[in-house]
Amino acid sequence: MDKKTVTTISYLSRLSIDNEKEKKIVQDLDNIIEFVDQLNDADTSNVEPLTNPLEKTAKTRTDQVTAKNLKKELLEIAPSSNDDYFLVPRVVE
Amino acid sequence: MISQKEISNKEVIEEVYSHIEENKHLNAFITLNKEPSLKKSEELDNNPSDLPLAGIPIAQKDLFCTKDLRTTCGSRILNNFIPPYSATVIENLENAGCISIGKTNMDEFAMGSSNETSFFGNVENPWGENLVPGGSSGGSAAAVSAGIVPAASATDTGGSIRQPASLCGITGLKPTYGRISRWGMIAFASSLDQAGPMARTAEDCALLLNQMCSHDEKDTTSLNDDIPNFEENLNQPLKNKKIGIVKDLDLSSLDNEVVKVYQDSLKEFEALGANLIDISLPNLSLSVPTYYVVAPAECSSNLSRFDGVKFGRRSEDPKDLEELYIKSRSEGFGDEVKRRILIGSYVLSAGYYDAYYKKAQQVRRLIKNDFDKAFSNIDVIMTPTTRGPAFEMGSKGSDPIQMYLEDLFTISANLAGLPAISIPNGNVDNKPTGIQIIGNFLDESSILNFAHMFQTSTNWHMYTPEGVKE
Repeated sequence: MDKKTVTTISYLSRLSIDNEKEKKIVQDLDNIIEFVDQLNDADTSNVEPLTNPLEKTAKTRTDQVTAKNLKKELLEIAPSSNDDYFLVPRVVE
Repeated sequence: MISQKEISNKEVIEEVYSHIEENKHLNAFITLNKEPSLKKSEELDNNPSDLPLAGIPIAQKDLFCTKDLRTTCGSRILNNFIPPYSATVIENLENAGCISIGKTNMDEFAMGSSNETSFFGNVENPWGENLVPGGSSGGSAAAVSAGIVPAASATDTGGSIRQPASLCGITGLKPTYGRISRWGMIAFASSLDQAGPMARTAEDCALLLNQMCSHDEKDTTSLNDDIPNFEENLNQPLKNKKIGIVKDLDLSSLDNEVVKVYQDSLKEFEALGANLIDISLPNLSLSVPTYYVVAPAECSSNLSRFDGVKFGRRSEDPKDLEELYIKSRSEGFGDEVKRRILIGSYVLSAGYYDAYYKKAQQVRRLIKNDFDKAFSNIDVIMTPTTRGPAFEMGSKGSDPIQMYLEDLFTISANLAGLPAISIPNGNVDNKPTGIQIIGNFLDESSILNFAHMFQTSTNWHMYTPEGVKE
């Protein structure tokens, strides 16, 4: 873990890191990665990954509309919206 | 008392709000729901109800969406969020008659073990000034411990119900993964998150659990198995029941007094007729590193929805869309949340995915296999809940790993999806300690049975911080 890697993953995460905190964050992340490297001690050859304790395929339900339309309520709690859309700064000139 | 008309529902709720006022220094609540709660209690006085939890005041963790009531998840990015719907578990509790008196403080997005990461400030443990209540459900635990409410909802991703329950001297239960619907719970790590109750006793937890569980079509991981009556098994004798004691557990890093209290509790269970059986969970020591790959990976994905566009807080005057995302997220999230998102992005990124994320999921299976094997021959497993009693705020220093190790004993139950409870089992330096009882898949009834029988023969669950009125 170095400064360049942290710059890349912070961009992927859409987070900016304050200059004065950068050194500490690089150090923390480096320590955490070193800590989780213990996992290499385990022999996992031929072990299937466990993604979810239930290990059941996600159930599907009948394709019926059960929720009511909350468009008005949802647009009302948005930081910026008009009658039909969420508003953001102009993307296409 | 309510049914005898010695006290009205409204008087109970008024008493709750005066307790909140008296305990303001604890900072256990982020948002109160006073007017609607008083109104609901008046309605109950006018039209008495036979609902199972009619009029019971409950504190709801601020991670559950509550219709028309601000829900912050302890974060600046949601400090103005008023959900247009309630979580299924909130609806279940309210439909059973509970009155949601307010939303409790918590570590931001449930990421923390001391309630020191909340945007709304630290919560103080009622057992001592400057002591942490544990986390992430620190506000819920403090509210029950201080006698403000008899019950609280909470959530547990790596120990967030059991660890604060232990540090505050109350009972807290994390059910089997899938027992309680996650719909309307703000997601942290979806394959680990599970809601559960906090109360003074195991019996009260059973009453709450009966109402919290339901099959929910809106959550694809919600179980459709039979839900037993969790009260039914409470009084089963423990004679000849088997308690698994993990022989690989290294207790040397624990406070000596904590080990003694733990061993005394095991003797108490033996006196109740149970047998102690040595078991082996050889991969247990890898549970914390496994968790700190899996949980951040899922969190980085779940928290990508907070972008300042659809709800929550938006940064002021962004020059373009990219800056809107980056500034809203950077201003809205605290340091611990950012740290975990970054770790998650790293372990999921091309080139590292197999080395970290896949590897951790493989070790997760080894841990689950260890439990499956152990449970073929025992009823429950016991461990201390935490390494020690409540610690001072700020005492874990600035190294995040020291805080992560706080959940050493609790994390494995989340990785394997198993139910587990923490009950008060002693006192060290006038601070409570807890013992953890882990059950087999879907076997909440057994852990409640062991917990209840312990509470019928000991008084630790009745010890309260000085000045608490019962």
